[in-house]
Amino acid sequence: MRSTRHGLFAGYDNEGFFDEAHDADGDARDHYAALVDQLDDFTSDELNRREKLRDEAFRAAGITFTVYGESEGVERTFPMDLIPRLIPADEWDVIEAGLIQRVTVLNRFLDDLYVGERAAIKDGIVPWWLVASSDGFAREASGIQVPHAARCLVAGVDLVRDAQGAYRVLEDNLRNPSGISYVLENRQAMTRVLPKVFANHRVRPVDHYGLSLLHALQAVAPPAAGEDPTVVVLTPGVYNSAYFEHAFLARQMGVELVEGRDLVVDDNVVAMRTTQGMQRVDVIYRRIDDQFLDPVVFRPDSTLGVPGLMAAARAQTVTIANAVGNGVADDKAVYAFVPDLIRYYTGDDPIIDNVETYLLWDADQRAAVLDRLDELVIKPVAEAGGYGVVIGPKATDAELAECRAQIEADPRNYIAQEVIALSRHPTLVDDHLEGRHVDLRPFVLCSDTVEVIPGGLTRVALRKGSLIVNSSQGGGSKDTWVLAPEEG
Amino acid sequence: MLARHAESLFWAGRYIERAESTARMLDVTYHSHLEAMTINESSSWHDLLKILNVDLAFSEAERSLRADEVSEFLVFDPDNPGTIRSSVSSARDNLRAVRELISTELWESINRFHLRLSARNLRDDVAGEPHELYAMVRHECQALAGVSSETMPRDEGWNFLTLGWMLERSLMTLRLLSVRYSQLVAAGAAGGFHHWVSTLKSASGSEAFRRRYKASMDPADVVAFLLMSSLFPRSVLFGLQQAEKALTWIEGGATRSRPQRLLGRLRADVEYLDVAELLSGDLTVYLGMIESDIRQVSDAIEVTYFRASDEFAMHVLDPAVVWG
Repeated sequence: MRSTRHGLFAGYDNEGFFDEAHDADGDARDHYAALVDQLDDFTSDELNRREKLRDEAFRAAGITFTVYGESEGVERTFPMDLIPRLIPADEWDVIEAGLIQRVTVLNRFLDDLYVGERAAIKDGIVPWWLVASSDGFAREASGIQVPHAARCLVAGVDLVRDAQGAYRVLEDNLRNPSGISYVLENRQAMTRVLPKVFANHRVRPVDHYGLSLLHALQAVAPPAAGEDPTVVVLTPGVYNSAYFEHAFLARQMGVELVEGRDLVVDDNVVAMRTTQGMQRVDVIYRRIDDQFLDPVVFRPDSTLGVPGLMAAARAQTVTIANAVGNGVADDKAVYAFVPDLIRYYTGDDPIIDNVETYLLWDADQRAAVLDRLDELVIKPVAEAGGYGVVIGPKATDAELAECRAQIEADPRNYIAQEVIALSRHPTLVDDHLEGRHVDLRPFVLCSDTVEVIPGGLTRVALRKGSLIVNSSQGGGSKDTWVLAPEEG
Repeated sequence: MLARHAESLFWAGRYIERAESTARMLDVTYHSHLEAMTINESSSWHDLLKILNVDLAFSEAERSLRADEVSEFLVFDPDNPGTIRSSVSSARDNLRAVRELISTELWESINRFHLRLSARNLRDDVAGEPHELYAMVRHECQALAGVSSETMPRDEGWNFLTLGWMLERSLMTLRLLSVRYSQLVAAGAAGGFHHWVSTLKSASGSEAFRRRYKASMDPADVVAFLLMSSLFPRSVLFGLQQAEKALTWIEGGATRSRPQRLLGRLRADVEYLDVAELLSGDLTVYLGMIESDIRQVSDAIEVTYFRASDEFAMHVLDPAVVWG
């Protein structure tokens, strides 16, 4: 512990956690040295002034998300902390390779399940009953081909760093991962609010995402679509919490943002209603869950979807991205098998490990978990957004008892994981910096090629000591700078 | 473009114009009472409600015809579907639904406007310094016009926005003229000067009128000016001409759609009016006819561009025809 800390860093303490910016002795890590130096030149008043600039910019741009469970129409801005998270080039190279390896395998697994021979099942890598009992498994998707087997066209893989600083995969998001709009907006805000700090680093750009996404979507168009396929973004509508992002992506790609009611399926062909009549649609980047996509096949009460859409996908007149049924592969119980799947399909070990995970249908593992429930994290297998997660060490006795009862009633529906002492990052708290826990959601685009957007969304638990970083649960974000390699 | 998006832009234009007109007319009515004691207060408030087509809703709300009650009703009363508050928030909702089609500047402007309005205590504004509120609303609406004009490409979306905006404007000026004129006829010529001045001010036209007609306050000149000036941007004719231009762009080709035919006929009718002849007959009846024509144009636009494709989808089953 150094005693020389001053200015914004006065009193800063790693408190035994892995700190992204400082080593165990409290010295700035090499790739953070320039940033820490520059921050020394800022007074807290100066940073607070820039925070105000940032807030005004975000609010005026309407960069908000809707919080469920509160009174209707509550729109909040997603708070972006001014201190960026830095990832050095060599570290990023490993992350990138690990993500490509993982998502490529997940695509192969899904294609194997839905249109292949289910080799991974036959060879005993993943038990069939586990697949068949997954909420995310969609029998309706069996036999529906996807060009380039790009079932996870957009994947968001949540990474955390443990007490030793090793990156681990916390969960996969293969259905409708959101957050990329914050990555792009955060970057834009940072270059405006802290231009000199930004200019002082060689940061790899992210603003090509819209073009890359459009390219990826066009590349999975059905062959009949021809040279210039029509791509649309399908949204549940303005009241969806991620509507801002849907509109943002449509704008970035220059394509129509449609709702279910704008689309019609006729003779297995999808078209949108325009002022000049019907126009054929070739690729749908849908941001609607499987269950609401097509009332003929899924929930009949859904008014968000398009009747006949699945039949059109089956007839290969339209491509739906991400593909239907991906939820089976980001089921948190199936997640536990991903390292085995990587070994099975590639023969290599996983580049990035999972977090130690216990499967609760297994009587022995369950008994061991129930013995020390107060030391573990319990997660429902099919939820996203941090909903339903119980953190043992922080839970009350009543919460633990309820959790125990739920596990015993339906062990398939839960997993347990060791508590990860998530790495922390200097974060502006009032007039000084304190360590706050962070994770990282990089975005991977799979189509005719696989591309990882440098960085991703760093989420930060703004509440002191909190481990939950989700935007719906009081989390914020940071701009994430992947540094370009040193020249020469 | 998507039919639903075109509809949202069309209505966004109408709502913005509605908010501005309401603010301007409220401001003028309020201040005409301070300046001219001869004006019958409750009847001019009633006129305003009639111009805005909410006189029935007002009587159902069981409010009395006083400045504060009418102002509250027109500014924020949830019983009135056409308040300034609801017009702005409807305009925002519509623009939000087409967020990816409009410029960021336009979105930020409407969003900021909405947030500013939401942050105010409108009841206190109306009771205290209403002029400040109305000036702010007008200023923000004019800023929206400027921002959209300076940042939006002149594509189909822009033209639907303009179409709604301009039709609403023609309708507002027409109703202003119609209600004010019939009231004047009923009251005889007394109090005419202030009456016409406030009518012109209600359309933001007193200065432009003065430059064009100097000292005249001949009702024929006022009617000619508000109805068929091709230079004044709030005349009925000007609005119709701009709307027609937008519609022609949207339609593109040589064929004429039903809305285009209706609007073209209406515009020509207004453009070639003979005011002297008009004043010798029953102007009120004539103005009523134009109003119903404008509403017919609006209905035809709705059927042709926003709804037609539904029927199309239901009835045309041969894909070769659909995609052809």
